[in-house]
Amino acid sequence: MDIFNQLMQGFATAATPVNLLWCFVGCALGTAVGVLPGIGPAVAVAMLLPITVKVEATASMIFFAGIYYGAMYGGSTTSILLNTPGETASMVTAMEGNKMAKSGRAGAALATAAVGSFVAGTIATVLVTLFAPVVAEQAVKLGPPEYFMLMLLAFTTVSAVLGKSTLRGMTALFIGLAAGLVGLDQISAQARYTGGIPELLDGIEIVLVAVGLFAVAEALHAVLYEGKVLDEQNRLSKVHMTGRDWKRSWPAWLRGTAIGVPFGCIPAGGTEIPTFLSYAAEKKLARDSDAKGEFGTTGAIEGVAGPEAANNATVTAAMIPLLTLGIPTSNTTAILLGAFQNYGIQPGPQLFTTSSSLVWALIASLYIGNVMLLVLNLPMVGLWVKLLKIPKPYLYAGILIFATVGVYGMRQSAFDLFLLYAIGVLGVVMRRFDFPTAPVIVGMILGPLAEAQLRNAMSIGEGSAIIFVQRPVSLVLIAVVVAVLVLPRLSRVWTARQARA
Amino acid sequence: MTQQNASNPQTLIGAGVLLIGLGLAAGAVSIPSAAGYGGVGPNFLPWLVAVSLVACGGFMVWEARTGGFREMDAPTGAAGASGAYWPGFVWVSAGLLANAALITTIGFILSCTLCFVLAVQGLRGAEGKVGIRPALLMKDTVIGIAIAAPVYWMFTQFLAINLPGLTSTGWL
Repeated sequence: MDIFNQLMQGFATAATPVNLLWCFVGCALGTAVGVLPGIGPAVAVAMLLPITVKVEATASMIFFAGIYYGAMYGGSTTSILLNTPGETASMVTAMEGNKMAKSGRAGAALATAAVGSFVAGTIATVLVTLFAPVVAEQAVKLGPPEYFMLMLLAFTTVSAVLGKSTLRGMTALFIGLAAGLVGLDQISAQARYTGGIPELLDGIEIVLVAVGLFAVAEALHAVLYEGKVLDEQNRLSKVHMTGRDWKRSWPAWLRGTAIGVPFGCIPAGGTEIPTFLSYAAEKKLARDSDAKGEFGTTGAIEGVAGPEAANNATVTAAMIPLLTLGIPTSNTTAILLGAFQNYGIQPGPQLFTTSSSLVWALIASLYIGNVMLLVLNLPMVGLWVKLLKIPKPYLYAGILIFATVGVYGMRQSAFDLFLLYAIGVLGVVMRRFDFPTAPVIVGMILGPLAEAQLRNAMSIGEGSAIIFVQRPVSLVLIAVVVAVLVLPRLSRVWTARQARA
Repeated sequence: MTQQNASNPQTLIGAGVLLIGLGLAAGAVSIPSAAGYGGVGPNFLPWLVAVSLVACGGFMVWEARTGGFREMDAPTGAAGASGAYWPGFVWVSAGLLANAALITTIGFILSCTLCFVLAVQGLRGAEGKVGIRPALLMKDTVIGIAIAAPVYWMFTQFLAINLPGLTSTGWL
């Protein structure tokens, strides 16, 4: 009952005209960002972080959350109509969705993606409402050793498990950690790696790194390598699902949600795994139905409905670890954490008591945002598709203007703009050699926090690392970290051996 | 790209990471350890990161010399065969660097418009449309201003965030 009252209070805050407007602008902007290739939710939020200087915390968090979700809705539009996914989470949608569009069923694919996103987003929001306070209550009991281990788990999964190459993932993570080191040490106020440049004493802004790695690198990569890539756009048919489409979609939505939510809750980051799992599940289940022949040929609607639902469920559920533990599991949530930090708010178990009205307004805004996005994406999809007509040179050059405003607006330093260029070049190199970028961002944001937790934990243990195995929760987390590192490798060896036998 | 061709730039990347690690290690020497009774001081993480990067870099060099990076996707984009379009890179770089150098002198709107126009030339060249026509240049400039000016006004007027202007009116 208590939760219900607090949620209602959240609605009261979120539904004020000003906050509704922020939510709407966020959703619309997010959809646009999702539709446009070359710019994702992480960079959009990063570029707009300077508004945290002036806009009040609740409004801007509602705004950022709108961008975050909106991009997930918009991303599916691009992957269905073009073959290039607007953001990584829609990669799987592109496989079946694009095939459906090619055989003239773009409308049905768009509809099942939008409604599926709504269903999954809403179910996941209900789960966030119910479970986040419970998790927060339990999380209060965690101390520095446990937090450090949780962050270690996040580092491990984001670098060693998600990407293809553990080596390149780890390298990216350590580059991020190195970037996080620049500036004053949190505990001893010792300057590190500032090279005597006063601008560096405050550390490197996350906005700078995110915008450089994503926006500037994207533009540089486009001019270097993608000039001759021709996008073929599929024709948009009427956005409508037949009775049979509905019948085939809804079980896939629910299955996708069931797969997506757990992946959002654990610091295992990213939407790639749940969306692929959902796709694989739908494909397997289709074996004894008439959808079987459609997979990979004319496009099966389940293959769009499932992964899209999984995607949105993951993204929404990722709010649980972010709000209750302060642990981001993706690029965008890492930058949302940065936004909280700009307000001097550290997400964590205390958030539900110290900033209760902010948290509940944010959660309420998720319900509202989902409804807004359904309206924005179903009847108005034709409007968004027009964005795909913007000539590439104007699109990428325009992104550079927004990149400048984001970075310059944060610290008013022209020095940062030179740094931005350097990071952009680094981003192109990383992309060219297949380094993942998420570990850089997560390492940079979580690195200083993890370091502080480690040192506090060691102080509690009076200088001995045994503290980490003496406490049960911390010990369990160590086991999980080891399992996450070892199990996938063991299973690979095992399957290789099976194949040989 | 054959593996033989690919291994040289990959060696460079590995060596670069190794060098960053060594550089961080060199910097870590001057950070005091002052661990207090926690046993872990401000120089612990720098050393950890430095050593790890040296190790990662070393491994990468080894991978590059023994058949190339493992489990690597073929780079995306159509330029795989024909190589990168470097003139375009120069245009976009010029735009970004000019922007960084001029923004405090000529103001946000003009500086960003310049960056936009330069970048567009490069990006258009990448699509195979080489050659600069005055009419097109004019159009690019107008579009650049049409993007930069509202962004500037939104930040200075609506959000009251300082951006450099040519004048101090907050409008240009």
